[in-house]
Amino acid sequence: MLKTTLAGLRAHKLRLLLTGLAITLGVGFISGTFVLTDTMDKGVGKTFARSAGKVDVAVLPKSDAPGARVPADILQRVRALPGVTDVQGKVQGDAALIGKKGKAVGNMPTVGMSVPTGRLLRYDVDKGRTPSGGAETVLDTQTAKREGFKVGDAVTILDKASRPHRFTVVGIVDFGIDHEIGYRGAVGFDAATTMLMTGERQYREIDVAGGNREAVAAAVGPRYRTYTGAELGAKLARAAGADTKVIRTGLLIFGLVAMLVSALVIYNTFSILIAQRMREMALLRCVGATRRQVFGGVLAESAVVGLVGSALGVLAGLGLGAGALVLIGDLNPQNKVGGLTLTGRTVAVAMAVGVIVTVLSAVLPARTATRVPPVAALRNDLEPGSRRFRLGRLRTALAAVLGAIGLALGGLGSLVMEKGEIAMDVVAFAGGVFFLGVIAAMPALVRPLGRVAGAIPARLGGVPGRLAVANAQRAPRRTATTTIALTIGIGLMSLFSVVAASGKASAAAQLEEQFPAEFQVEPQAADGEVRLPHALAAALAGRRELARVIEVRRLKTGVDGRKETVAAITAAAMGTVMKPEMAHGSLSDLKPGTVMVDEGTAKDRRLSVGNTVRIATAHGTAPVRLAAIYGKGTPVSGFIVPEADFDRHFTVRDPSVIYLKTADGVPAAVARKVVDDASRPYPTARVTSAAEYKESLSKAIDMILMIFGGLLGLAIVIALFGIANTLTLSVVERTRESALLRALGLTRRQLRRMLSVEALVMAVIGAFTGVVLGVAFGWAATNAMGNHTVFSLPYLQVGGFVVLAGAAGTLAAVMPARRAAKASIVESLATG
Amino acid sequence: MTSTFASPPGGSPAAATGPAVVATDVSKVYGTGDAAVHALRGVSVGFARGAFTAIMGPSGSGKSTLMHCLAGLDTVSGGRIVLGDAEITGLSDRQLTLLRRDRVGFIFQAFNLLPTLTAEQNILLPLELAGRKVDRRWLDQVVQVVGLSDRLAHRPNELSGGQQQRVACARALVARPDVIFADEPTGNLDSHSGAEVLSFLRSSVREMGQTIVMVTHDPVAASYADRVVFLRDGEIVSEIVRPTPDAVLDRLKSLGA
Repeated sequence: MLKTTLAGLRAHKLRLLLTGLAITLGVGFISGTFVLTDTMDKGVGKTFARSAGKVDVAVLPKSDAPGARVPADILQRVRALPGVTDVQGKVQGDAALIGKKGKAVGNMPTVGMSVPTGRLLRYDVDKGRTPSGGAETVLDTQTAKREGFKVGDAVTILDKASRPHRFTVVGIVDFGIDHEIGYRGAVGFDAATTMLMTGERQYREIDVAGGNREAVAAAVGPRYRTYTGAELGAKLARAAGADTKVIRTGLLIFGLVAMLVSALVIYNTFSILIAQRMREMALLRCVGATRRQVFGGVLAESAVVGLVGSALGVLAGLGLGAGALVLIGDLNPQNKVGGLTLTGRTVAVAMAVGVIVTVLSAVLPARTATRVPPVAALRNDLEPGSRRFRLGRLRTALAAVLGAIGLALGGLGSLVMEKGEIAMDVVAFAGGVFFLGVIAAMPALVRPLGRVAGAIPARLGGVPGRLAVANAQRAPRRTATTTIALTIGIGLMSLFSVVAASGKASAAAQLEEQFPAEFQVEPQAADGEVRLPHALAAALAGRRELARVIEVRRLKTGVDGRKETVAAITAAAMGTVMKPEMAHGSLSDLKPGTVMVDEGTAKDRRLSVGNTVRIATAHGTAPVRLAAIYGKGTPVSGFIVPEADFDRHFTVRDPSVIYLKTADGVPAAVARKVVDDASRPYPTARVTSAAEYKESLSKAIDMILMIFGGLLGLAIVIALFGIANTLTLSVVERTRESALLRALGLTRRQLRRMLSVEALVMAVIGAFTGVVLGVAFGWAATNAMGNHTVFSLPYLQVGGFVVLAGAAGTLAAVMPARRAAKASIVESLATG
Repeated sequence: MTSTFASPPGGSPAAATGPAVVATDVSKVYGTGDAAVHALRGVSVGFARGAFTAIMGPSGSGKSTLMHCLAGLDTVSGGRIVLGDAEITGLSDRQLTLLRRDRVGFIFQAFNLLPTLTAEQNILLPLELAGRKVDRRWLDQVVQVVGLSDRLAHRPNELSGGQQQRVACARALVARPDVIFADEPTGNLDSHSGAEVLSFLRSSVREMGQTIVMVTHDPVAASYADRVVFLRDGEIVSEIVRPTPDAVLDRLKSLGA
């Protein structure tokens, strides 16, 4: 039996190839994911192993809390140990590098790092040397490149109190794989200078050369943990490896989607093949093959297809992984990687997934094959799949139940439940269940959907158009499976674009509340207690291009004994620029001696209007009456007191944020220049405009959507292969029919067009179903996400999906159509 | 079956003279070198307009090949074929297709109909492919004569074999082609249905002046024709005018079939 199977496969290489391709793509994606992440991991591991090799013992605080440090006396104690040749403490804090334009670089201040000297230096010095003394600095390689600094340049770096200091760049250093440094950039000094600049007095880590671990551990005591160099390297690599794990999981989810689509394509291909090989199966039964042997034969065939497809897939995965690495290398040169890593696990997992999915997909068709009676070998049967179609009781019931559950859960999640992650999970689950219902019902939907999708081609395409539309509907099960494969990709794509568009719309709506003016000036800071000088606000207030300058002052202080934000807003802005929705009371109730608070805090602290809160001020505790509770509509939260009261209670004069409203008739560019000029003397003052912010947000969302689109693209490509596959097999099946049409006067071009239209109709059915599902569940997800989300339907995008799918479907028809058109009429008439 | 066509249709006058199709020294070779098979070796034959001609011969005699070449379904290796006033040898695939669409009708042994179309749609298919207007009166008449009036909305799989062949006949007739080529039209039918189909074909020739060329190996079928041409090993070896089944059978025997 196996011999028969293999001989059959050899005889039909094209069939093997077509079926195998779907699995190759899916497996390629999965193995590519592993190759990519393994290679990244290995690169990371190597880097850390190398740098950790220089350290004999490392001391770190036991606690994982962000503020946990090793104090200086511990370092002294370790230094005194016998055998210890060198000890270096790692100091790290904020030290904002000023760029060539006089502004602090980046969204957050650069990291200030201590750079050890001698043996314990574990960073690569790319150029120059390590810094020493209070006038020398080194720059992180990426930062130097981005900002255009080189060895010998003079640079300005701000200390903790934002005072400028001049340094000479003596080296360019690669600080290695570190997220924070990758994002913020870094400057390096010797340890003492780092302490002066960053205000940090303690160490994140102490590295020891010489000595032994036990002695060090005994010296530092139980509050600190000691590591050997190798352990330290492994720990660092693990932390960095967590990132690759996230990437791997994310990619594998898309890989699974692709495999699901592959499974559908394979199932369909095998179903059609079995239907077409009815006679072959019957002949096998005639000559004595048992049902079990026929079943085994089909499964063996699928296993071979799965093996070959998966093996090719692993190779494709190597290529994909290499491509992705090049891409990542271009985007983020921080991640240095060496050669590709193909582990045994990658091969094993990829092959297993490929073969198992293929064989499982072939089980149902194989079972059908066993039902072929031997006598069918002698009968000249009707074409497969042309019998009158009825959806069957089981399928109808299944479709109804799953559809109802899906709808009910979707409604529950989007309309009834409290917004948030759980509601979204419910909607996602509902989407899955409803989709299963659609799969069950799809064969019955093919005809009505086909009429809709085919309405235009049937009218405009003449006889070939009408025949094509009829052909697309003639085998509903086959068309249903073919189209549903496309529905998955397009559906998820539409879902994401609806959620993305709604996210943008929601963000825009939110932005109007939080960004009440055209411009916002904020200090560049890694934490909240940094302010802008009041002088800047005063300077801006003097400009007639600006209608309003609104200062928001805030600080953290005790309110009824708990740390809360207490803020004051420029009085003139209240009720004009800042217009919070009032939950209880009104803005005019905020008189001297009173306070108002946001709804969330009020609820949290069980406060209501009329209560008295005790605010810790610079002059002791002041009892203040709660006059009002405000809702959304302001960028500030916490306790808001009148400006005069704030002045009386606190010494803070500098604003945390300044909002600027442009005067009427002043162009945005002019206003921007005024604001930029005024803030020039303050390097850390960052000016953003509402428009820019909106744009950057929208860009970020588009970027994510594009990445998702790219990843889902594979599932869509596989589905298109499915269409090509189905069409190729249908063409084989209809050889005589095509010949008859050609004899009756159908030109080659018309025949090609007929098949293109058939593919178009199938693609549009699949895409349309996907778009409907995607939009519906996108709406549900948007609703479930939060209370203030705004639904937005990206018409053009969603419409574009259907059009693109149609176009791609036509493209998928090119090969089968050419084959069909090339066939000789006379030979085709003689077959079968 | 004596039901006949009420009046001769316009277009193909029964009295027209001259052959509808002429083959001159036509040869057809498949393959090359030692593997070359000479399916036709210099066949010259004419088919009169308004006549019913049968092509007979043993298996492998080249009768189907001849028909395919005459109908423009297959190309010739040598010689020329003139269909009506057009030489079809040397035409491009597209020209041949348009010629078939406008001037030729087909009835095959089996798989004559498109399963996705109803009987009526199948009948009208060649006209629609050619973008020609449907003459409803003529359609009604053809449909009535072949006895399909109450079957027009059925799909092929709802029709018997005989009914399917009658639909094929109607399709060939309704376009009023210069020639109808029939390839074993009764090969798959029982004798009663076969006789019906053959009667239509004959009466369409007699009463409408339709030209029909039919390939068959059945002496009874051939006896419906006005003339039988015999092929053997790719050559025309004999012919009978106004054949009877016995005469045909005798001739076949003498040819060694």
